[in-house]
Amino acid sequence: MAARMKLKLKTVFVLYFMVSLMGLIYALMQLGQRCDCTEHDMPKDRTISRLRGELHRLQEQMKKTEATKPPQMLPAKQSLPTIFVITPTYARLVQKAELTRLSQTFLHVPQLHWILVEDSPHKTPLVTNFLAKSGLTYTHLHTPTPKDRKLQEGDPSWLKPRGAEQRNEGLRWLREDRRAQLGADSQQGVVYFADDDNTYSLQLFEEMRSTQRVSVWPVGLVGGMRYERPVVEGGKVVRFHTGWRPSRPFPLDMAGFAVSLKLVLANQDACFDGDAPMGFLESSFLQGLATMEELEPKADNCTKVLVWHTRTEKPKMKREEALQAQGLGSDTTVESFK
Amino acid sequence: MPKRRDILAVVLIVLPWTLLITVWHQSAITPLLAIRKDDSHASRSNSRNTFALKESCSQQNRDIVEVVRTEYVYSRPPPWSDVLPTIHVITPTYSRPVQKAELTRLANTFLHVPNLHWILVEDSQRRTSLVSQLLKDSGLNYTHLNVETPRNYKVRGDTRDPRIPRGTMQRNLALRWLRETFSVNNSQPGIVYFADDDNTYSLELFEEMRFTRKVSVWPVAFVGGLRYESPKVNTLGKVFGWKTVFDPHRPFAIDMAGFAVNLHLILYKPQAYFKLRGVKGGYQESSLLKELVTLNDLEPKAANCTKVLVWHTRTEKPVLVNEGKKGFTDSNVEI
Repeated sequence: MAARMKLKLKTVFVLYFMVSLMGLIYALMQLGQRCDCTEHDMPKDRTISRLRGELHRLQEQMKKTEATKPPQMLPAKQSLPTIFVITPTYARLVQKAELTRLSQTFLHVPQLHWILVEDSPHKTPLVTNFLAKSGLTYTHLHTPTPKDRKLQEGDPSWLKPRGAEQRNEGLRWLREDRRAQLGADSQQGVVYFADDDNTYSLQLFEEMRSTQRVSVWPVGLVGGMRYERPVVEGGKVVRFHTGWRPSRPFPLDMAGFAVSLKLVLANQDACFDGDAPMGFLESSFLQGLATMEELEPKADNCTKVLVWHTRTEKPKMKREEALQAQGLGSDTTVESFK
Repeated sequence: MPKRRDILAVVLIVLPWTLLITVWHQSAITPLLAIRKDDSHASRSNSRNTFALKESCSQQNRDIVEVVRTEYVYSRPPPWSDVLPTIHVITPTYSRPVQKAELTRLANTFLHVPNLHWILVEDSQRRTSLVSQLLKDSGLNYTHLNVETPRNYKVRGDTRDPRIPRGTMQRNLALRWLRETFSVNNSQPGIVYFADDDNTYSLELFEEMRFTRKVSVWPVAFVGGLRYESPKVNTLGKVFGWKTVFDPHRPFAIDMAGFAVNLHLILYKPQAYFKLRGVKGGYQESSLLKELVTLNDLEPKAANCTKVLVWHTRTEKPVLVNEGKKGFTDSNVEI
């Protein structure tokens, strides 16, 4: 009786073993294969995939909006010097458009800290909201230009130097902020003055990152010429190729140089002189920071144009003004400018 | 003897279960390996960590399963997705001092947009090296075309004569290229957008237009002498008119930058082109759109046309007085 029992059990086990072995072999065979997806290609699956993609994208956007906190960079990135970009800006029709496309360029540059200084007695909601959504690391400052230095309606753009107070405010904040920071890394960096209507190539930022004191490069569409540039011989700047007042100490455009953070911090009094005659704004800052011999030429020994001094037309508002006179102006709650 | 049998029995029970466990463990890793191999498709992104859930069609969903790319903003352009419709951006361009600057900052914008295909059409006899090199260096997915506008159609000097629409031949060439490249029966989803090289586009705009079914519309700033022009949308979410001052009775009183068309519609109506001759100022957009849709079919975007996501900026012509007759600067240096 016992023998028969054992016999039955044995067959049961053998059967069980064979069945599970078959199943496993079948599963193993299926694993390496691609499935024939056309049968599975149902619209619901596609919708789910699309929604997942959108969700993922939104999550990425959320991550971007949290970028105002000091980003947790991978250790490898900490060795990249931060580029501090100081941009003065003022309210006009095209302001939001200019800042938008500027931010789209900056978003591609790693370790960039944007210091945006408004020409205004207080922070405007347009700029505040814009910066919050931009995804950049930024500092939002403001300082108004005194009335006598401000351009009036109808003044030509070259009449008075613009943005001096705002750039000085940016420098002041930077110096104060760095004083509070510890560590050798926080004193490493490059300071660049970028106006909000110029055009910057991405390569420019990589060129300026290695600035030791003051580096220079050509600027396109400025000084009434296709480009202005320092002339380099033997790796050193010997003179400047410019069509307008070449006898200036530094006949450069604001967009044509960058200063190392160390130099800015070491010279606490170096700032822009708002009363300087036209074209001497840059010189008023650079004098005392470096001599021409010490300038570091970038952009392939100053033979490539990586930044352009573009200017945006003032949009014609004749019809808007006519409508407003009738009390029918376009909805001002829709923000396209302030 | 019985003891051996018992042992045999136990082994026979345990063996399949251990096999099962190891096999399931393995299966969690195999899809990962399959995805890693296909990374060459998106060569520029850095440090992508992929965690795959076991899915039957893991191949198809490989872009969905990618997780946090810690350096997202620095991977340009974003990797191509299999599920997002492609946005074909048609940009006519012509040589002038600010051309390289305009195209540079436009490229910087486009590098943020996933699944963007840039169709750049030069108004020139030959494709210039300036544009070819710029496109190559940008890393974008592009098509470079060219067609020269015959002299009597070109704008003479500086005069902004609105009766001669600039860029028309170039846009039509791009439409023709699309029709030759994609077949009507092709189910690849796509959107066609006409983007001039001096305008300013927010990134949000591209996501708004991506799921256009026929033709979608939205407000544009700084056109028609207003802060912005926009379609009029009723409470049912349908476009019934145009909020413009300049000729609001045009069939489509909208700027080139204010609408996008589903690629399928372009392919389905192969005779729809921008009218070249005899087009009144401001009617160019209508000349195309009236062949494609009616007012009723328009899809309002940008929060029912209440947000401005594109600005019709224009760049000043730089004053090159100091160049003189012979050219002060080295003409070999490209600007």
